[in-house]
Amino acid sequence: MAAEEGGCLLVVIVDTNPVWWGENCMQTESGVDENQLHKCLDSIMVFCNSHLMLNSENKLAVLASHTDQSKFLYPKAESATAAAPPSVEPREDVISMATGEESNDSMFSRTNGPGSCGEGKQTSSDGRHELLAQLDDSLIDQLKEMILNDSSQDNILRAETMLAGALALALCYIHRMMKEHTKQGLKSRILVIKAGEDSASQYLPFMNAVFTAQKLNVPIDACLLGKDSGLLQQGSDITGGIYLQIPNPMGLLQYLLWVFLPDADTREKLVLPPRVQVDYRAACFCHRNLIDIGYVCSVCLSIFCHFSPICSTCQTTFKIMGRPGKAKKRKLLPK
Amino acid sequence: MDEDGETETGAYIWEGEYEKTWEALREDEAGSIQASVDDIVSRAKRRRLLERPADIRLGMMRHLFVVIDLSSAMTDQDLRPTRQHCTLKLLEGFIEEYFDQNPISQLGLVVTRNKSAEKLTELGGNPQRHITAARKAVDMACSGEPSLQNSLEICMKTLRYMPGHTSREILIILGSLTTCDPGDVSKTIKALCTNIRLVNFLDGKIGLCFHQELASYNIRSSVIGLAAEVRVCAKLCKGTRGKYGVILDECHFKDILMQHVSPPPAATNTESSLVRMGFPYHQLSANVASGETPSMCMCHLDGNEEQGFGSKGYFCPQCKGKYCELPVECKSCGLTLVSAPHLARSYHHLFPLDASVELKLSNISAEVSHCYACQVRLTEQLLYQCQKCQKFFCLDCDLFIHETLHSCPGCANKPPNQALNDSVNNRNNT
Repeated sequence: MAAEEGGCLLVVIVDTNPVWWGENCMQTESGVDENQLHKCLDSIMVFCNSHLMLNSENKLAVLASHTDQSKFLYPKAESATAAAPPSVEPREDVISMATGEESNDSMFSRTNGPGSCGEGKQTSSDGRHELLAQLDDSLIDQLKEMILNDSSQDNILRAETMLAGALALALCYIHRMMKEHTKQGLKSRILVIKAGEDSASQYLPFMNAVFTAQKLNVPIDACLLGKDSGLLQQGSDITGGIYLQIPNPMGLLQYLLWVFLPDADTREKLVLPPRVQVDYRAACFCHRNLIDIGYVCSVCLSIFCHFSPICSTCQTTFKIMGRPGKAKKRKLLPK
Repeated sequence: MDEDGETETGAYIWEGEYEKTWEALREDEAGSIQASVDDIVSRAKRRRLLERPADIRLGMMRHLFVVIDLSSAMTDQDLRPTRQHCTLKLLEGFIEEYFDQNPISQLGLVVTRNKSAEKLTELGGNPQRHITAARKAVDMACSGEPSLQNSLEICMKTLRYMPGHTSREILIILGSLTTCDPGDVSKTIKALCTNIRLVNFLDGKIGLCFHQELASYNIRSSVIGLAAEVRVCAKLCKGTRGKYGVILDECHFKDILMQHVSPPPAATNTESSLVRMGFPYHQLSANVASGETPSMCMCHLDGNEEQGFGSKGYFCPQCKGKYCELPVECKSCGLTLVSAPHLARSYHHLFPLDASVELKLSNISAEVSHCYACQVRLTEQLLYQCQKCQKFFCLDCDLFIHETLHSCPGCANKPPNQALNDSVNNRNNT
């Protein structure tokens, strides 16, 4: 059963930022509606299906990264325990029925995990592969649920996508799957399909996620539908993933299939988009300017563009010793 | 505390009650005890997380000397294949992890044998150099006795010139039970840590004046003993606020060694200062139009290899010197060159995640059936809740989040205005 290659777990993070997608719709309303969420989602579904078809051992998870939450679109929480012993499964159905998490009965009937596709419990109407049909349905249902719930809850519109949270969830999921499939040597990677803009407030959790991915050996690929993202450029550069800003959103599927579908071994043999120039300069905490040479507080590592006697972050008072740097030792000695 | 061979009550382990350790193990259906062993291990890890002190100023920029004992005691085979091999193998892992967690810190290696000490590598920020040196040390012959005093002094000679805002540390891995010293080692120990009773030292001898000078440099020294507790080491660690650990087996050795990876609390009299640093520009290819040509990088200048020649590299913003990798101290102008992610990598030490609360599954409403992070069904009785975002996690995820990820997925998914307030509060606390 276990192949020589243990398959690949792909976690796709889709940015479903309503502000960005809405704006995009408005702009293109007059002309051809070329860049809409559902079209994009169609491409992503084809891409996900292709990934699952490449190798029977391949695994997939899809996350939606929204403005106030991140959510697993596939596998659903109920189906995520496909790897657990089968004796647990019946009880699981009862519990989720009882809690009423899923109101839709017809939807509920197909919430079985990838592992249970052999049971032949359900056949899709048009003769599609059950696993792929489940994936598509789950994706659509969950996304619908999320968007409908979102608008009813809260009237404050937020423009930022919770990308760092989605990455953290993806990494936890990968960590678990790697633990469960240690024997097969499961390889994992993350693909971020990002539309909106970076938010500075997420820098820290985002970088933490990137370093974790680097430690777990998980490349983070980035596919940008909108503007360039400095954060993701750094992220994919550090983890060894591919960063690509798509020039023409109409061709999203083409890019996904050509650039992001091949796994790490195949990529070595392909001519892929060149690495982008990544700007690793730091932004100072005081003015948010990018700086070449700056001053770093030795206590809290805050970055400043000018010397100041008190650190504005941790309130530490610095020793005044003329110009800091090389000169300070020489100045100290004569005292 | 058990690392010192002492239990919480202060008594030695062998003085404590008889422990029926096998009773903690339970077989699962398949007759395996792996599950319960894993459980005990993860519980121990969790306990360590809880023990971590909060809101303490840390020595973020570390200068650490690792002293390796290569005396004849290191040929002992109680660690496989020998103490020397095992130590150096673990040390390689330690060096990698050290630079991973403390990217702007430096490390140096010292070996001691034949009653003397010699420096294997100078203090430096390049992990590869130290790892190569550690690999070479595997072939070095172990002989004679170690010298504690000589090794301490050789480390002190370098450490005392390090800037005052850095955390200066010595970590000694000692296999021998004896030390052969030229003078009184306790005077060296006193010199390492305190400036109390300086007057006693000033009795005219040159050697003691040297000690007095050293006294203001507070160097934290820790010892890992491979054999048994030695009083002079215990005294050394106690006097310099270091940690003393005696290993039980290889696993425990690794455990103790890795505890030295995270930055220690800073000494109260550590200076604080603003350090000037450069953030070099990374160039992928030369801009031929503006007349740039391929060049040799500064880090490979001494070698004979062709490595380092090309147009790629990081350019020092002050003197335009080229380097292959960061972080590095510019050889020509002395500026510390780092990249923003290097600093970001250290932030999790400063803003640690709050420990989560342990809850019983049965005490919680039935709605929680899955771990928020990894979607696994919660089958175990215990689960963990983040106090900020009220999300529930399984034990595996809780450990992963606290040990590796360092940010809570639930909190990271909170809308920005809330998250921002939290981080401001955090900063104020530090």
